[in-house]
Amino acid sequence: MKRESPSLLAALTVGVLVNVLLRSQSAYWPRAGAATALVCVPALAWVGWFFSWAWRQGSTPLLRIAFALLLFYTSALELLRFWNLAQRLYPGMVSLTAVCFMTLLPVLYLRRVSAISQTAHVVLCLLVLATGFMLLTVLSRLHLTNLQTQPLQVPDFAAAAQEQFTLYPEYLLPVLWPRQEVKPRHPLLRLAFLSLWFDVGIHLMLELFYGAAMPLRVDPLHAAARCGALSVFNRLESLQLILWAMAVTLKLALYLYAMCRLLAPQESQGSSVRLNTFPLYIGGIWLTCVILRKTEIEIAMQTRNLLTWGLVLLVGMGGAAAWLCKRLRNFG
Amino acid sequence: MQQTKLSRSLQKNLQILQNIFGSSGDFYTKELAISGIPCAIVMFTGLSSPEKLCHLALDMLDRNPVLLGGSDGLCDYLLTQSLVPAEPKPVEDWNSFVEMLCNGMTLLLINGSTKAVVFSTQEMPQRSVSTPTGEGNMRGSQEAFTELLRNNLSLLRRQFRSDSLVAEIATSHTPAKTEYCLCYDKHVAPKETIDHLRARLAEIQLPLLLDSAYFASFLKQDKMNLFPAAAYTERPATACARLCEGKAVVLVSGCPYALVVPSFFAEHFECLDDYASSAVFAGLIRLLKYLAFLLSVFGPGLYVTAVSFAPEVIPIQMLTKMAQAEVSTPLPPMLEMLSVTLLLEIVREAGLRAPQAISHTVSLVGALIIGETAVSAGIVSIPVLTMAAAATIATLAVPSLYEQSILFRFAVILLAGTFGVLGLACAALVILAMACGSEPFGYDYLYPLMPLTRTSWRDGFVRTIWSSLAGSREVIGHHET
Repeated sequence: MKRESPSLLAALTVGVLVNVLLRSQSAYWPRAGAATALVCVPALAWVGWFFSWAWRQGSTPLLRIAFALLLFYTSALELLRFWNLAQRLYPGMVSLTAVCFMTLLPVLYLRRVSAISQTAHVVLCLLVLATGFMLLTVLSRLHLTNLQTQPLQVPDFAAAAQEQFTLYPEYLLPVLWPRQEVKPRHPLLRLAFLSLWFDVGIHLMLELFYGAAMPLRVDPLHAAARCGALSVFNRLESLQLILWAMAVTLKLALYLYAMCRLLAPQESQGSSVRLNTFPLYIGGIWLTCVILRKTEIEIAMQTRNLLTWGLVLLVGMGGAAAWLCKRLRNFG
Repeated sequence: MQQTKLSRSLQKNLQILQNIFGSSGDFYTKELAISGIPCAIVMFTGLSSPEKLCHLALDMLDRNPVLLGGSDGLCDYLLTQSLVPAEPKPVEDWNSFVEMLCNGMTLLLINGSTKAVVFSTQEMPQRSVSTPTGEGNMRGSQEAFTELLRNNLSLLRRQFRSDSLVAEIATSHTPAKTEYCLCYDKHVAPKETIDHLRARLAEIQLPLLLDSAYFASFLKQDKMNLFPAAAYTERPATACARLCEGKAVVLVSGCPYALVVPSFFAEHFECLDDYASSAVFAGLIRLLKYLAFLLSVFGPGLYVTAVSFAPEVIPIQMLTKMAQAEVSTPLPPMLEMLSVTLLLEIVREAGLRAPQAISHTVSLVGALIIGETAVSAGIVSIPVLTMAAAATIATLAVPSLYEQSILFRFAVILLAGTFGVLGLACAALVILAMACGSEPFGYDYLYPLMPLTRTSWRDGFVRTIWSSLAGSREVIGHHET
């Protein structure tokens, strides 16, 4: 009940799950996804572990700045992706500034790590409940006959693997958290497992819903939710949008905390982001979003993925070199 | 002058007292001689009882015991040998002297001695113990705290008959030197929390301390957070229950409300009746209270969002009726809802502050004029009025979160009315983040509701049966993670 250094695993989980929920198109056939997940889950967990190990070997200020910039860029992209979704659902009704303001305002209250942790637990519960509820409402429209039976080709597996090997910053963040007395067991493995299998599960639901038309649908999950018929409330899309907005905000708060730990490690030894950083942060994110508003979001996301892999490579090389130097010095 | 010692000269001491309190009408001095030694009795007539003093003390002094030690001998005799009910320690400096005097004690100045003997003859006008007015309960004790600190302490100790109850009385840093008392169970209250609380209370400097709530703001970690860091109770039984959970209770002199720290969100939905009624019924009532809180905060905002931005969520029959109602009113739904909610709050405030004789009239006028006439005139629609009234009534189901409910409701209406679904999401997350970010003394404010554990269902959202509850006594600090 008393919180000294609360776990951020729930926040990380919300961060990776929302990536699945906000996807504008389905990425692969679930059978292929299930097969590749068997490899991708441990692989992603290993990458996260390797990054942590290399980072601890010695992270330079340049790498810290690069990581912080990556997180800042990702934050802007997340906002843009959410704005794009809102634009598609309510054309012309939501401005980018309104989305920025509405999403970043709650971050003010999520500046404490305990607030992020606790809020993540609640949002995670709500997300699971809402997804389950949504499934219930569309249950009558899920048909086993929609499952595709044609044999999968290599490109199908390649598409699934490519999607599942998307390296989200959440896999790299645990190294930045303060040391905890009670550590969750295998956090990276759990994170990768939850993320990828949730993705596979959602794809399976979409296949049962749309059948062969699954790859053609834009915002498939949202469109499915719109079809859910309930006796009192006819359409659940608003409920979903509220939850997704909450999840995106939580993700941004997590990134901000990580950025503060990267850029001002001595100041953020405490457990909160200082209030005076917010004008700069909110203004910076808004400006970046305005600049990038015309960017093709999927391409920007892929670029972000490449940048993340690049950072892992750089940190890995640096860490390996530092480790080698230490070993050689010990031998000397 | 206040820090200086008492003089040996009785006349000099009386002169000093005359300078301090001479102009006060209730200041009373009487010079007398005991065993031939000139003495003086000093007291405030409103706080001390001369009759009590006479019966308890003066008849004993009248016996004029044979003394050998002079003035100091008389002082020692009164303190150690006589049957006079004197306080064990004499007063030697003016600071303590004035403090004792203001506490309603009677002091005996002895010529030739630098010590004054203190007699406990307090008799202050006080309200008798009555039933609680703000915390309705059908079962359990019907006693409520009063304004007198010592009385409140005795009410608490009568319920908590154990040697583990500690009641530390201290004086606040106010010009009025108001007393407060920090109570806790020394066996279960976490020492770190109590030490922290004691230190924080001692640091607080106020121009005036009239209510225990004055302390609450100083105990908050995040001043931007609207959720309270402390809870209040006027029931000694509730305070006693909180003590058993390892929490601290702060009683302030002159205030009939005890401050309970640390306080958690779930406490606002609990009451003594929960534990007196059956578990199933108590669980149902608790869930209803949570629903009422959600309705009071989000109900009007949801209505505005649904009508203005997302009419597709409303079933078609209901939508038709709402559309008909909205068409006939001049204001957009957000402004309509805001104005009705504001008016309801004004009626409530007027009813609360107005003299008792006309408060009923205010309510009647509010209900008739604002409700009936405004609808008839087509200024507000019936659905808006219904939702606003439902939210206002729902607020009263959780009275301890009244302020928060009102503030959150206005914020939700404004954000949802301006930005639609996104505004609603923003408001919901801000409220959630406030609740989650509140750290009363480092504890989770949402304990035991979140993270979801067995405790959440044992005595959180609902309550389990007594036999199960009794076996697992919930004490703060015992499950630290």
